[in-house]
Order: sequence, then C-alpha cells, then structure tokens
Amino acid sequence: MDETNMNTQTNIPQTSSSTENELKTENEILISVSDVSMKFTKYEVGVNALKELVVRAFKRNLKRKKFECLKKIDFTIHKGEAVALIGRNGAGKSTLLKIVSGILRPTTGTVVCNGRITPLLKLGAGFDGNATGIENIYLNAAILGYTKKQIDEKIPAILEFAELGDFIYAPIKTYSSGMMARLGFSIAVNMPSEILLIDEILAVGDIAFTKKCHKKLDELRAQGLTFLIVSHSESVKRYCKRAIWLEKGLVKEDGDINEVFSHYTAEMTK
Amino acid sequence: MNHSTQNIRQRTFLLSVLVRRNIKNQYYRSVIGVLWTVLNPLLNMLVMTFVFSMLFGREGIDLDYSIYILSGNIIFGIMRSSTSGSLPCLVNQRDMLQKTKVSIELFPTANTLSSLVTFGFSFIALLIVMVFRRIAGEYFFCWEIVLVITILPALTIFSLGISYFLSTLYVFFRDIKHIYSVILTLWTYLTPLFYSVSRLQKPIVEKFMVFNPMYHYVTMFRDMLAGNIPSATQYLICYGFAALSLTIGWLFLRAVKNKIAAQL
Repeated sequence: MDETNMNTQTNIPQTSSSTENELKTENEILISVSDVSMKFTKYEVGVNALKELVVRAFKRNLKRKKFECLKKIDFTIHKGEAVALIGRNGAGKSTLLKIVSGILRPTTGTVVCNGRITPLLKLGAGFDGNATGIENIYLNAAILGYTKKQIDEKIPAILEFAELGDFIYAPIKTYSSGMMARLGFSIAVNMPSEILLIDEILAVGDIAFTKKCHKKLDELRAQGLTFLIVSHSESVKRYCKRAIWLEKGLVKEDGDINEVFSHYTAEMTK
Repeated sequence: MNHSTQNIRQRTFLLSVLVRRNIKNQYYRSVIGVLWTVLNPLLNMLVMTFVFSMLFGREGIDLDYSIYILSGNIIFGIMRSSTSGSLPCLVNQRDMLQKTKVSIELFPTANTLSSLVTFGFSFIALLIVMVFRRIAGEYFFCWEIVLVITILPALTIFSLGISYFLSTLYVFFRDIKHIYSVILTLWTYLTPLFYSVSRLQKPIVEKFMVFNPMYHYVTMFRDMLAGNIPSATQYLICYGFAALSLTIGWLFLRAVKNKIAAQL
C-alpha cells in the first residue's frame, strides 16, 4: 500500500524498470574497478607476534605463504544501477566490497568511485556499548563522515525509522542484537549517500523490520541510489537487474540477473 | 577550498566525539564520576609522599615534596596514559576499522587528547595541594605557573608520535603490549619523579639523563611551578624531541597504513 503511494509521489514505476530508464538518461560511471587483485598472507598461527618473527628470522624462514583472493577483477557500475554480487563462501565477495568502499587497498589495480559511499557491511560496526543510542548515532554517523549539522538534521528521521522509543537514551549494551541492527541500519540509510554497499545484512531482525528495510531500500532505489549487494538469496532480484558471479577470485559471469542466477544455482546443486 | 574546510570541520567533530567518549568511559560513568579524576592523583600523591619521604631526603629539591611528587606524576601521566591507552586502540576498534572507512590516525590522536583533558583535572588537584602548602607556608604562588601552557603542546606532540608508532606496531605484533608495559615501568623509574638527580650525586646518571626526553619535560614543568622561567635551550630540547617523535610515528603510520585493515 505504501509502496504504491511512494511510486506515485516519485513518479517512477517499479524498481526493476526504473533501472533501464535511468541507464538511458544518465550513463555516468559511478564505480570503476579495473584490474583489481588482492593477496593475503596466510598464517599458520592465528595471531602475529614479534617473537614469531624473531624465531622465523633465526630459521631463515621469513617468507610467508600468500594466497590470491581476487584475480584481476574488472567491471564498471553506472549511476542508478543495482548490482548483485553472488558466489560461494570465500569467493572474495566481501573482500571486493571492502576494496570498493576503500577500507582495503588492493594489491594491484585501481578502484575509482565518483560518489559518496555508505558501506553497510555490518550493522552497528563501531558502536560503543557504554554510550547511549543517541550518542552512538552521532559517533557512528561521524565515523561515516558526516558533520554535526548533517546529523542534527537527520536525527528525527533516524529515530523514527529505528522505532526504539525510550531505549534510545539507554546504553547500547542493554540492547538486543535486533535493536542494534535496527539502529545501525537506520543511521546508514537515512544519511545522504550515492552508493550503498550491502553485505548480507538483511537477514537480521524480525519479519516486520526486514519488510521495513526492504521498503526503505525500494525508496532509495527510486531516488536513484546505486546499489552493490552481496547475497545468496534470490530476493535481491527485487532490486537488481544485473548480477556478477565471483568464483575463486574471478568474475565467472556478469550479466542479466535471471540468467546468472540460473547458471549459478545449476552449478551449486550439481 | 570550501570542500576542504568542511572536511577539516568533519574531522574535528569526529575527533571531539571520540575524545568525549574516551573521557566518559574513563570516569563519568563511575559513581563519583568526574570527581575521581581529581581524587585519583591526590590519593596517589598521598601514598607516594608518605612512602618516599621516609626513603629519600628532601635536599636538592626546591619545591615542597608533595608538590614535587604530584607535579612529576601528572606531567608524566600525559605520556603514560596516552601511549598505553593508544597501544591497543586500533586493535580494539577492529570491527569499525574493518567495516567502515575512517582515518585510523584519529584514534591515537583522540587518546592523546583525552589524556590531556585528564591532565587538566589532575592540575586542579595540584592547585588544591598548592593552596594547602601555601597555608602551611611551604609554597609560594608565582605568575610563572601560567607558562605551563607553553610546555603542554610539546609533550602532547611527543606523546602523539609514540602513540602513532605503538598503535600501528601493535596491529602487527601483538606481544608488544607486554614488552611496552615493562618499558613503561622502567621509564617511570628512570625519570626523576620522586627523587632528584642532583641528590643521587652520580655524574654518570646526570650524563645519561639528558637522553631521557621525559626528564626534560618533568624538569621544565617543575621549574615553572617553582617560579623559574625556562631557558630557550630547554624549549628547544623539548620541542626538538616532540618533532622527532612525531616524525618517526607519523612516517611509520603512513608507511603501513594500507596494510592495517587487512592485518586486524
């Protein structure tokens, strides 16, 4: 009911077809990933320590095993596009998102982003358990790169969406994980942004909240935000027309989501 | 131009949020709250005065002994609390640094600034002791106390450099924590906090003491409290150590910055 209401307001038909419209009008490239490779060091022991280094130096065994997590990834995302990133566990999807958002620097290759990115890799990352909900909104949004004025403006919208009531004045450590996720999501989607990177976060929270999240994301899509979503479920078809399938650090397929998903499912159930 | 000023304003805001959070987590949420920041150095001083005035004589110290101990401890405390607080600060923010893009140098900076705030509260404790000693006729206030403000930037920059260095090093070597706590203890005893160098009457100690940066900061701070105006050389040494420390810390952080998120 609300969705139809929203569509009449923005005068844009359902998300899937809006992508095409926008692609024709605004062909501006927002994200351009070229030749990106990422190598990680393999550790035999969980944590690295100075004494380990010293022992290794004595053994003349300073070389560590490396493994290549991403191999020469190439793709571009245009303004207003929504792209799903699919693949097995450990295929490098999350690493790719981190590289696109600028958290990790790729070993080789470049990523160019022309727009403000909100990485939604973990809801409530960096919340301080001792601080109240309100304090955490300021902390979290400041870390995402917003000024005090921008946050002040959005506080009512964030509070309304999170629906935490008086709990917002209680320390975060008293929150349930669902409440924490609500607050984290609410901050991320209410602050102005151009690109949203989402990493399988919609599985948290109750049905009502998940529904609300999807509705909010629909709204943001209609506003022309660019999405890059990591997912395993076909529910992303709601937003995305295009999918990129990562397999062992390589782009295996890049194209229409229905096609890619059918190939992917066939491969996985083989 | 406009963009960069907004950028600076945003960073300053984030820094202030982080500092406030540190201070709050440190004291405000305990029962007697902010009072504790003043009380803590006072109680420490009482214990130390009681213990050490029996061990050491007071010759060669031109300040009242309780003021001597307290001043040494609170000025040393800036370095101690900012470096030991900064050491684990990046690793503790693991979640945040891996999931959001944020300049890492803000975290050690926030820790250093918070210990400066703590120093402000401790300074109140020092003033209280000074008033009591004034009443007892053991201390006389002088205008040179305001000069203290000229030494604080040097010590803050010095601590900041060490904080940058340690917090990044800890990401790569987690056993640094234990090593540094030993170093810090050693450093505490090698700095004349409750003894005076001249009273030891060992020329070799005096010779090597000049290489201890904290010795210069502590001495200069006490000189001001005693009513002496520090010489230009003293300022030069203090700011020289600060610049050296910041350069090393900053360069190290720059060099390994891109590897940090992957190492956490």
